[in-house]
Amino acid sequence: MTGELTEAVAAAQAGDEEAFRFLYRSLQPGLLRYLTALVGADAEDVASETWLQVSRDLPSFTGGEFRAWTVTIARNRAMDHLRRQRRRPSLPVPVQALSELAGDADTEERAGETIGTEAALALIATLPPREAEAVLLRAVIGLDAETAGRVLGRRPGAVRTAAHRGLRRLAGLLERRDISPASDGEPRPAPPRPRGGRQGSSGPRTEPADG
Amino acid sequence: MNFRRSDRPGDRAESERLLDATGAGATPAGAADPLAQLLSAAAAPPRPGELAGEQAALAAFRAARASGAVAPVAPPGRRRGLTTGVVAWIAGIAATATAGAAFAAVTLDRPAEPERPPRPSAPAPTTPDRSTPSSGGSTSGGSTSGAPSGAPSGTPGAVPSATTTAGGPAGGGKPDKPSKNGKLSGKCRAYLAKSPRNREKALRTPGFADLVAAAGGAERVEAYCRELLTEPAPAASSDPQAAPSSPAPTPDAKPSKKKK
Repeated sequence: MTGELTEAVAAAQAGDEEAFRFLYRSLQPGLLRYLTALVGADAEDVASETWLQVSRDLPSFTGGEFRAWTVTIARNRAMDHLRRQRRRPSLPVPVQALSELAGDADTEERAGETIGTEAALALIATLPPREAEAVLLRAVIGLDAETAGRVLGRRPGAVRTAAHRGLRRLAGLLERRDISPASDGEPRPAPPRPRGGRQGSSGPRTEPADG
Repeated sequence: MNFRRSDRPGDRAESERLLDATGAGATPAGAADPLAQLLSAAAAPPRPGELAGEQAALAAFRAARASGAVAPVAPPGRRRGLTTGVVAWIAGIAATATAGAAFAAVTLDRPAEPERPPRPSAPAPTTPDRSTPSSGGSTSGGSTSGAPSGAPSGTPGAVPSATTTAGGPAGGGKPDKPSKNGKLSGKCRAYLAKSPRNREKALRTPGFADLVAAAGGAERVEAYCRELLTEPAPAASSDPQAAPSSPAPTPDAKPSKKKK
């Protein structure tokens, strides 16, 4: 994967459009998911800006982790975007919505999975930003802790800790979600109040992690 | 399929393994662990909608190619250049500062031996006549140059960090048998370089014991030293005896400048 990417980067730098297309297809889904956690519905726009800059700056890319380079650009664009917008990066997702997402078409078409991509990402997006970013960079973009640390401007150990905390939090959320009946797509009874309250309190204090 | 045990990752290492596996796309889709399922769902293969911007991205790529092989200097590149510059600056300043300190050490040392040849690097070849007290000196780079003050002052040109060796060789200072006097004068210089308060303290250290003994008592050390140091020292070339002295002044390596 990394070797392929490196080759494609070199080819794209030489002007190979197909190579660039390969880069786009390899990176865009992860970028978009990551950006969604940062800027919510504006992720598409920020991703477009990112690719614009990637296209422009590609000649100056001097090697190293291309994914990390791209993600760094994406992250900077997202932070700029948030500064412009002067608003919170992502909206708190009420737990009801999450449960419903888990039961929607996405899940149905992947029978056997208990949770769909959309719902999984939404759940991750409810984590505190540092944790969400760490989890997404590690699991979705596929960076190792060192590289993720470079992207985030933090130590690898801090990234590992944040990711671990995020996973624990996610496991807790899943457990609670599990207890409720019916993740089978049926219209569900209104979830018990207390859960909503708890979710709210431990919910996202979403803000750009780098301040 | 599993009872509701808590599957939460127990420690960071476990989390790391899970994340690594997911990042590498290695998590089996049917894994029982809900957390692993969630992660693999989050990292699932691209869905069609996610690549909707492909044409726009390709257009951007084409435009960038067209608008210039004269690609605008990228911000990252500029930043890198800046960083290099800063590093170079710091290196330069550090080098200058170190060299300056070394120079200062030389300057400080020199007045102690006004009668010595000013460029002690030269004496080095001349010492061999009867010496090889330099055999002891070979342990510490500084003392090989023979002349008393030469040791510290001879080296700084070559080794900017020689400031430390001004005191440093003293630490390694195996007493040279043939230069008892020289050693004492070295210690005297070290002693006199100290503030009055420190002098007392220094004399209680083992390193100065022989000086005290030679002077015949702690209270006479100062007089002894002044006498020893003012008696006309023969030229370094003719009297290698005094030669290795200065590097050996303070076996306890206390002072870094030894004179005044």
